[in-house]
Amino acid sequence: MVSRVPSFEACSFRAGAHCFAVDSGCVAEVLHSATLTPVPLAPEAVAGLLHLRGRIVPVIDLRRRLSLDSTEQEASQTNLVVRLGDDWYSLLVDEVLDVQAIPLERIERTTTGAVSATTDAVTGVYVAETRLIHILDPERLVQSLLKQRTTPFVRHGVSHGG
Amino acid sequence: MVGANDNEEFVQEFLVESTENLDQLDRDLIALEQAPGDEERLASIFRTVHTIKGNSGFFGFSKLGALTHSGEHLLGRLRDGKLLLDDRVTGSLYSMVDAVRAILRTIETTGSEGDHDFRDLAQRLTAVAAGDAVEPAAPAAAGIPAASPAEPVATQAPAPTVAAEPAVPSVPVASAPETVPAPGEASTVEKAAGSDRTLSESSIRVDVGLVGSILDLVGELVLARNQLRSIETADPAVLAAAHRINAVTNALQETAVKTRLQPIEHVFNKFPRTVRDLAVSCGKEVQLSIDGGDTELDRTLIESIRDPLTHLVRNAVDHGIEPPDERAIRGKPRVGRLALRAFNESGQVTIEVEDDGGGIAVSAVRDKAIAKGLVTAEKAASLSDERILQFIFEPGFSTAAKVTSVSGRGVGMDVVKTNIEAIGGTVDIHSRPGLGTTVRVRVPLTLAIMPALIVRSASERLAIPQAAVRELVPLRGDRGGPRGWPQIEGLDDAPVIRLRGRLLPVVFLDEFLGLRGRTACRDEGTVVIVRVDDHEFGIVIDNVRHGEPGGAGVGESASLSTVVVKPIGSLLSQVGLYAGATVLGDGGVVLILDLRGILRATELPAGREADGAAPTATASDADRYLVCRTRQGRRIALPLERITRLEHVTAADVQPLGDRQVVRRGEGFTSVVDADHLLGGEGGACAESVKLVVLGGPEGSIAVSVGQILDVLAAESPLQAVEATTGVAGLLALGGLATEVLDVSRGQPW
Repeated sequence: MVSRVPSFEACSFRAGAHCFAVDSGCVAEVLHSATLTPVPLAPEAVAGLLHLRGRIVPVIDLRRRLSLDSTEQEASQTNLVVRLGDDWYSLLVDEVLDVQAIPLERIERTTTGAVSATTDAVTGVYVAETRLIHILDPERLVQSLLKQRTTPFVRHGVSHGG
Repeated sequence: MVGANDNEEFVQEFLVESTENLDQLDRDLIALEQAPGDEERLASIFRTVHTIKGNSGFFGFSKLGALTHSGEHLLGRLRDGKLLLDDRVTGSLYSMVDAVRAILRTIETTGSEGDHDFRDLAQRLTAVAAGDAVEPAAPAAAGIPAASPAEPVATQAPAPTVAAEPAVPSVPVASAPETVPAPGEASTVEKAAGSDRTLSESSIRVDVGLVGSILDLVGELVLARNQLRSIETADPAVLAAAHRINAVTNALQETAVKTRLQPIEHVFNKFPRTVRDLAVSCGKEVQLSIDGGDTELDRTLIESIRDPLTHLVRNAVDHGIEPPDERAIRGKPRVGRLALRAFNESGQVTIEVEDDGGGIAVSAVRDKAIAKGLVTAEKAASLSDERILQFIFEPGFSTAAKVTSVSGRGVGMDVVKTNIEAIGGTVDIHSRPGLGTTVRVRVPLTLAIMPALIVRSASERLAIPQAAVRELVPLRGDRGGPRGWPQIEGLDDAPVIRLRGRLLPVVFLDEFLGLRGRTACRDEGTVVIVRVDDHEFGIVIDNVRHGEPGGAGVGESASLSTVVVKPIGSLLSQVGLYAGATVLGDGGVVLILDLRGILRATELPAGREADGAAPTATASDADRYLVCRTRQGRRIALPLERITRLEHVTAADVQPLGDRQVVRRGEGFTSVVDADHLLGGEGGACAESVKLVVLGGPEGSIAVSVGQILDVLAAESPLQAVEATTGVAGLLALGGLATEVLDVSRGQPW
């Protein structure tokens, strides 16, 4: 995914109180306030579906997926659409920040802190001037959701006898 | 000059085209074998080989060129009557086809022809051409160098022709004196060139992905069209333009979808050869008939059914059809019959593979199923033959007594089933011992577009594939719909509706999807009756879209919509409830329900519908039972054919009348008996609510009160008598459990 040149062009964004960055090469589009179609019984982190020029794009709520603390009350509104091979996914984030070159050597592999607990999708951190940027691998993020099976179905209404 | 990339594209095209040509070649060779005098067929074979040869020259595939050259030479001898068609000739020609196929495959994977030069085969072809000549080579033919003068005519190939290339030492150019006379060659080649031209002019090859993007764009156009329509204007010019765009868009969408369809011939075409080769290697005689090759199917589906169908055909020849001698002993024609049929049926494509062989020995399947631990001996004994046959689809199941080189390894029937189901199809098998086996594969026409019913549940819109929808039934509702409309019965965990004498389980879509909790009123809405595999069940929805809630009619036609199916990706496919999503005309995204998934997830009672086409309720109800639990906890069954209704009353509705209890129903009264009491036990204390199973009979009706209604199940065993137990007619296996059948025969003291 990341070309192994000395630096890596990253698109950074904010979700909750944390900053993240993905390879800008896989970012297809940024959408503000799109209409989402909910998917009943989908994994919890799936916020819904997005229609993007003929494609149906699953939307992953990053705050929910990474259990991020947030002072914001309402749900994230910005869709960061990423392309992973033939599949497209949208990451629901709070704010897209900028695109910047991050020197590879400055990325630390050790991932500690709040966001590393739930997933291996954070592959490293970069200490920018003003903030800590978590390098996110969207592929792994999706993979981690694939592994996470939804709970087995229980026949609804069993407990409600008449 | 063509760039490297372009050239690669041409090679790809060449490969695809040649592979198709080879399939044609197989068919023609088989036809020729049956009618050796068919000159037109021979000419067609010659043309095909010639085309491949010409193209391989163009791309510099020298081995391929050399091989086809030898084959062409042999064919030329045949055509000129210098050679008679016999086993040796056909055998070597088949070998050539195989070798060409092998080389093409190598080119496809490695980009080059590979190391194997097929020199032996080329020599054999030449030897057959020379050695078996019925008369010495005509002197008139002498001196004409092999085919080369004609080459450029056929292909306009700027490259040197095959025969002239140094890289073909294996082709004895020395055999030139035996080549066909020039005039014949030239005329054939002209014909070949002519037919090629028509072919290339009438069709083009397009990448499937490109067609997909066209479909997507058309979908976008449809949305834009809708926006245009929503603009309020009185300008007649704008309205006219919008109208026109509307019409064109519809036509465009229809046409775009058609571009994905291909005749199923693409799969069928290779079967004559497969069957012939198999028959030869198994020492059998098989006559293959193919019907409905022009039935169209989505290209991607054609690819998906190729392997499963091949397996079914192999199975039929290898295991189904008996050796000729055995057939003769059984009084059958020595030549076995294998029929491949494809046809459209209720929006789907049905493909049948039918043989007139020995059929499947049900006892062998049963034994094997028991040996494999798939079923207990006791249970197996109680299952119908039809049910036993289904074990064939279990993983790793094979009844072949010995593993032959042909079948008995590789994919089994389980893989066939898995593959077919993966594309939304079904497989079922019917077999009559001694008479043959029919395997029926049903697949959707296309996965890209389908008619669907758009329904509403809570605040959501969802699509149900129309192919599965049998009918829409409005619920009677509390506020008094017409009396003929059904209500939800069986108030416990197994809600059902009664439809023309049959009890069908129902799923409340809103509740099931967690869109809202159980609503107080469960009698509002519409039930969509669907059929998946052999299961029929109802899905309760709010109301069909555009239908008037609570109104008299259900807006059936208005809510049907042809939708373009879009994949939702593995992340959401894994939920197992959605087959995809679609974008509606208003731009809204709607999920398409995967009914099979819903069936699995709800664990709706299975196997109750042995044959949904049962003409009358009585026939299908004959061996089905309503399974209940009495208030004392005994599991009992009541014959469904005797049940007229399920009712739910309060304790207050049941009134004592002498030593009996009755419930008021309409004009009259019906006696109520406690099931436990019938069984000789204590009738339990009157509960708050009473569940009644109303039985009809010659002497009027009676209501049996039970504790809980569990399910409707088909009998899995014959009724087994038990020693005098009060009120019990016998024992039955129902849902794998021994269940007492309540004696409701005439003359019972009620």
